[in-house]
Amino acid sequence: MLDIRDLTKQFGKGDSAVTALHQVSLSIAEGEFFTLLGPSGCGKTTLLRLIAGFEPPSGGALVLDGKDIALMPPNQRPVNTVFQSYALFPHMTVAQNVGFALEAQGRPKAEVARVVEKMLALVQMTHLRDRKSAALSGGQQQRVALARALAPQPRILLLDEPLSALDMKLRKEMQVELKRLQQETGLTFIFVTHDQEEALTMSDRIAVMNGGRLQQIASPRELYDLPENRFVASFIGESNFLMAQKLAGMIEIEGSKTALPSGFAAAYDGPVIVMIRPEHVVLGQGPSDAIRLTAQVERLVYFGTDTHIHMRLRDGTPLVARVQNALRGGAIAKVGDSVPVAFPQDALRLLPDTEA
Amino acid sequence: MGEAPNTERDAQNADARQRWRLALPAVTIIMVFSILPLIVVVLYSVLTPGDYGNVRWVFSTEGWFSVLFERDIFDDTLSLSDAHLTILARSVGLSLLTTALTLIFGVPTAWFIATRPPAARAFWLFLVTIPFWTNLLVRTIAVQEMIRSEGVFNRLFLWLGLIDQPIQMMFTNFAVLLGMAYVFLPLMVLPVFAAVEKFDFRLAEAGYDLYASRLFCLRKVILPLVRPGIIAGSILVFVPSLGAYVTPRIMGGGKSMMLGNLIEMQFGQGRNWPLGAALSITLTLLVLIALIYYTRLTSGRQGRSHG
Ligand SMILES: Nc1ncnc2c1ncn2[C@@H]1O[C@H](COP(=O)(O)OP(=O)(O)O)[C@@H](O)[C@H]1O
Ligand SMILES: [Mg+2]
Repeated sequence: MLDIRDLTKQFGKGDSAVTALHQVSLSIAEGEFFTLLGPSGCGKTTLLRLIAGFEPPSGGALVLDGKDIALMPPNQRPVNTVFQSYALFPHMTVAQNVGFALEAQGRPKAEVARVVEKMLALVQMTHLRDRKSAALSGGQQQRVALARALAPQPRILLLDEPLSALDMKLRKEMQVELKRLQQETGLTFIFVTHDQEEALTMSDRIAVMNGGRLQQIASPRELYDLPENRFVASFIGESNFLMAQKLAGMIEIEGSKTALPSGFAAAYDGPVIVMIRPEHVVLGQGPSDAIRLTAQVERLVYFGTDTHIHMRLRDGTPLVARVQNALRGGAIAKVGDSVPVAFPQDALRLLPDTEA
Repeated sequence: MGEAPNTERDAQNADARQRWRLALPAVTIIMVFSILPLIVVVLYSVLTPGDYGNVRWVFSTEGWFSVLFERDIFDDTLSLSDAHLTILARSVGLSLLTTALTLIFGVPTAWFIATRPPAARAFWLFLVTIPFWTNLLVRTIAVQEMIRSEGVFNRLFLWLGLIDQPIQMMFTNFAVLLGMAYVFLPLMVLPVFAAVEKFDFRLAEAGYDLYASRLFCLRKVILPLVRPGIIAGSILVFVPSLGAYVTPRIMGGGKSMMLGNLIEMQFGQGRNWPLGAALSITLTLLVLIALIYYTRLTSGRQGRSHG
């Protein structure tokens, strides 16, 4: 439905120019909950503003339903935004805010009133319809901003870190709420966040961005299981990175070898980076195809459901294992112990050896 | 247990007395410099004019009477004072026009300045406030230089062949209006600037995102939020315009007098201090009406729903 091709955005000119987006290409399908994820300053807001039409792109195409909308003004695009700051009109009531777009479109009064009531009910704000928007709590403002953007029934709803200003509890509630709304309305959402957990729990697909470049586009599960590069692996979840040698279809870490995991074709031999998630590190012998090493325990951190064991390999590489806490049984290991660790072959991921 | 409230009340009373003593200097200054002169003016307005200015201590309503009426010297018949009415109407009219003119030029100027980058803003604001550091007389004479018969405009128009005789612009209502609009323009620009600067342009962006045209955005989002600044600027221009003295004197001469000049005349050549005092109070009342209207406009906003 929305096709973004080689979209580039540069701010400023000459020496002070900042390239906020480098040839970003992605396609978003109808009804998808699509998330842009990345650290602060990676260009998420810029991409959203280009889609909304607040900024013209420096290059590339923005095609919605087969039509290039790159230079169409915002008030003609069937795309609405829920702003990071909410940007509610402070001199209007909740109902007036929600009805704004319909009034701007010159819809008949009866229709405006009907849609406003429907939207208020949808976000459970009917009881506050006549309250001035400046007199609302953060969570309530959030709901009004959502209803205001949904009222004109856009093709795409853009949400720029809509939950970042809320406290933890409210945030979890709104995550559920947002997902419910998206499923109920069947609307396409483009959701921006820098919170990987939020992205993983809510999205159909996630585009990970860094430094104005797309890193990987995949489903949450795929992103976690098969990160394509070191940035994605470290930004999403926790990871151990190990220096390894690739040689004749085998992979070797500190002298211990196993066959190359399937799907990682041997393009060349030499040093590679191997990634393994802490929950996949086994304390003990592990399966027969595992890489087996010895590590020294440095620190134990208790997390209730599990314990994080911080260790060092012989060459000094840090290693974290996450072990579920059993109902009975004593300590898993003691600080200072030398313990056997195993990396099952199917838990190993090879990453291109770029970006140290 | 009956003691406690009493001691508390005593403490409060002592506290109030203490506060009253602390407020004394301020109250004295207000009394001496603001209430007392007002009382003097009110008192003078109901006395009899002296022969060489000043007043005689004889009660008379003649001063107030002469604000609107005049008595025929021969047959004592009453009639509305055309001269005074004209001046009153001209004062109110020219002040309203001055306000309108400063709105037309001041609001876009303020808008322009408020939307520059912060560094450039300071520069433009400085330019706007330069007239404040300049003597009022000098500024007014500068405008005079523009429009007098041998002034810049007339020479330019003559040279361009648009006219073949200088246009008489000085000593007309137009001259007074132009002078006042020029002199009071910064008083409009500054409060409007402050309001526009505070305006969150993301709101305009939100409006634009929600299918509003630029005009709709201006009417429904921007204007309601910068309105306090526009109203404050209007009052700041209207009130001193009403009492303006120097500018009408130079630009209007004896032909286009305003209230301020009429009052001055009563205390000078006219030697009619009671009438001057009564006119002054009339002026003050007009200002008061404008201020009441202003508070209505601004406080009414909370209660009234928009749209
Ligand atoms: N209007 C602008 N002018 C200049 N640089 C900008 C502008 N907007 C964004 N940038 C720059 O573009 C980069 C991406 O910003 P942004 O899209 O806001 O990141 P994010 O939303 O991911 O935190 C940043 O380096 C930022 O400084
Ligand atoms: Mg952002």
